[in-house]
Amino acid sequence: MRNKAIVLLALISATLLIYVLARVFFVLPDELNQGAIYRIIYFHVPGAITGFTGFVTAMIAAGFYLATGDLKYDRFSAAVTEVSLAFASINLVTGMVWARIIWGVWWAWDMRLTTMLICWLIYAGYLMLRRAVEEPTKRAKLSAVFSFFGCIDIGIVWKSIEWWNTQHPQPVLSIRDGGGMAPGMEAPIYINLVALLCLSACMIMVRMRQEAMSNEIDSLRRTAHTI
Amino acid sequence: MLYLRQVFTIAAKDLRSELRTKEALNSSFAFSMVILVLFSFAFDPSSEQLHEISGGLLWLVYSFASALSLNRGFARELENDCLDALVASPVPVSALFLGKAVANYALLMAVEMVGFLVFGLLYDVQAAHYFWPVLLVIALGTWAMVVVGTMFSAVTVNLRMREMMLPIIIYPLLLPALMAAMTTTTDLLNGAPFGPNLIFLRVLAAVDLIYTLLSMIFIEFVLVG
Amino acid sequence: MDSRNLQFMFYGFTAAWLIIILYVVTLALREKRLKKELDRVKNMVEGGKH
Repeated sequence: MRNKAIVLLALISATLLIYVLARVFFVLPDELNQGAIYRIIYFHVPGAITGFTGFVTAMIAAGFYLATGDLKYDRFSAAVTEVSLAFASINLVTGMVWARIIWGVWWAWDMRLTTMLICWLIYAGYLMLRRAVEEPTKRAKLSAVFSFFGCIDIGIVWKSIEWWNTQHPQPVLSIRDGGGMAPGMEAPIYINLVALLCLSACMIMVRMRQEAMSNEIDSLRRTAHTI
Repeated sequence: MLYLRQVFTIAAKDLRSELRTKEALNSSFAFSMVILVLFSFAFDPSSEQLHEISGGLLWLVYSFASALSLNRGFARELENDCLDALVASPVPVSALFLGKAVANYALLMAVEMVGFLVFGLLYDVQAAHYFWPVLLVIALGTWAMVVVGTMFSAVTVNLRMREMMLPIIIYPLLLPALMAAMTTTTDLLNGAPFGPNLIFLRVLAAVDLIYTLLSMIFIEFVLVG
Repeated sequence: MDSRNLQFMFYGFTAAWLIIILYVVTLALREKRLKKELDRVKNMVEGGKH
């Protein structure tokens, strides 16, 4: 049942991604001011939104773990954080490639980029913390607490382009009260977002299965020691 | 009232034990001095450039000094199962946390004040006009460092690589607060009033409040389990 | 405008896809490793029981 869900999600994601690629490269024209490079937005923005959605979901799952003590919430939280970190990396790297052309530099220390990098570092630290604790319950508790602290930064990243003067472009998506984009250019962002969300769901399920296997290995090892 | 009395009892215990040996105090202070001297080799101490980065330098010194002293926060209780005894005592765990945070704060502020004096002397930085605003920023920024540092010293207390994990975990979490503190301090030390940096002051205050609340809520899960 | 505009656009897309592919490969390798370890430990427990 679960394997079927994984395959189905992967297929939906692949279909949507290919559709967006075809549309973006063959149908849409170049943007007036930026040229061809603007197309990076179709991975850059969905990557960020997927990453943030994941981090917040992980925090909620962490809350459920602390409330119930059921380790399946911890497995979910860890899986979601790891996958979201991959999508946050996509956001950072695609942003850097765009910046090299538009701003002439790979990186700028403005608030949006800096706070996003901090977010990435925080969740990389989360994964390091998980590796450092061997006992499953302790690991779950400490990770859960850390998840809550990490989410504070996400709020700061999201609002950073509104609170400070940044080089990073202001909101253009019409859902964020931005100016909107040329007709036909905004939809692929949302389609790609759905594609990446499906892909992340698929990866999360695989990762959760691996966490469950890992837990089973730990408990079997303990049984083996007592025999 | 009882709660506050418990907090201050714990804080007094920690301060008393630290002042007997002065281990953390001396090593933080010595480390700050070493870094201040090292920085003079990285930059030309008399240049105008130094004034532009003065706030940043100062907070770098403070962050490194705090990493040294905050590690010991809960680690010192590991001997003789003192931590278990404290957690099992009638003192609420959040009071235990606050007491340790207050003690760490007092010690760190002492190191920082002396460090600020030495910094001013060595690098010809004058804060006479804006002393109270600078003190406010240092006070708020230090509280953020102490709260997060104490919280995560509890998180990492039983880990093998405690000394390495603590800086790796707390620095990214503290970066928004440190950024705010550095920018505001630099501008104040260069003679500019608060004005445009008010947003940073709000960020500092918000971060302090949020991290303190979060720590007081979650310390229960970390220590009691 | 920078003449490498189109070139960098492809770099950007390649980078995004590369990260996804690398992560999928990491997942697959980890799955294989965990499965092997699980079988090994299961055999160890079965062997010990007899």
